[in-house]
Amino acid sequence: MPEEEGGEALIHVAIKAEELFQLGPLMVTNSMVGALLTTLLLLAAALWITRRGTVVPTRMQSAIELPIELMAGIISTSSSRWRGYAALILGFFLVILIANWVGLLPGVGTIGIHQVVDGHEVLTPIVRPASADLNFTLGLSIVSFVMFIYWGIRANGGRGYLRELLGEPLYMAPLMFPINLISEFSRLISLSMRLFGNIFAGEVLLATMLALAPLFIPAIFLGLEFLFGFVQALVFALLAMTYISTAIAEHHAGGHDEETDHGATNGHATPTPAAEAATHA
Amino acid sequence: MDSNLAAGLAMGLGAIGPGIGLGIAVSKAMEALGRNPEASGAIFVPYILGIALAEAIGIYALVVSLLLIFVG
Repeated sequence: MPEEEGGEALIHVAIKAEELFQLGPLMVTNSMVGALLTTLLLLAAALWITRRGTVVPTRMQSAIELPIELMAGIISTSSSRWRGYAALILGFFLVILIANWVGLLPGVGTIGIHQVVDGHEVLTPIVRPASADLNFTLGLSIVSFVMFIYWGIRANGGRGYLRELLGEPLYMAPLMFPINLISEFSRLISLSMRLFGNIFAGEVLLATMLALAPLFIPAIFLGLEFLFGFVQALVFALLAMTYISTAIAEHHAGGHDEETDHGATNGHATPTPAAEAATHA
Repeated sequence: MDSNLAAGLAMGLGAIGPGIGLGIAVSKAMEALGRNPEASGAIFVPYILGIALAEAIGIYALVVSLLLIFVG
């Protein structure tokens, strides 16, 4: 924490998840409660829709189906082998979407228990949105990182993947290999940092606005954060999808000149516009 | 105190580039949409990815300033 010399701080900001209580060897933090709440909400929605689902959707059913239909439409146009990763991407999207929106529920940042942390009393919220914790976003990024390397190796073979890392003219490999390696790992860092930074900054923004102008003004920012939560979930899912679909397509697009003996399979050689955008970035 | 100033500078200066980039990206997307409204589906995904990548730079600045405030 920074040194607080002059008076009370306007708001209490914790960059780490705060500890609530000890459960055996496990220290339960408030972001774990948030993650649990997210899972329960998703589970309840899944149970509800499988029990009560009708062919002609009711209002509630279409509200649940709306994000799934949106994502399914995007995923199914991403590459020819979308069936393999559709479930993963859809899962990412739904979990992050609900985890982001949990932070906007009334009482999430304000209902808590009083704890004494180095001398002065602070309010520890019981629930913290899971995606405002770096552990959660890093975990999701590691899953997507492992998956796109796995898909790359499965599509191109271990040697193909290694050749992709070494770069195109082989004599440039000493230079290109570290660069490619760093760029692979920077995806991991940027995926997790983007989600964490956005949601954490959103929480801080909401708390600041609530402290400055408690009436009406925070409502505007709540609406804004509602939108941002959706956009960030979409961005994470789309980037993970693009990484996977380029990992699958790279070999066919890159090793075109040497392995054209089965030219008939070149139908999906052209990367999608989304894949194109991410490779040039 | 110094680290607070550094954090403010990091965020403020770091937001200039992404701000300009986002402005260009959104204006070009809107322009494209105005010229060809039927292409909205094709524009949407690369547009979201593009603004996400531009925004990431701003997020890096945010992370640096958070580190400066809470760690440094």
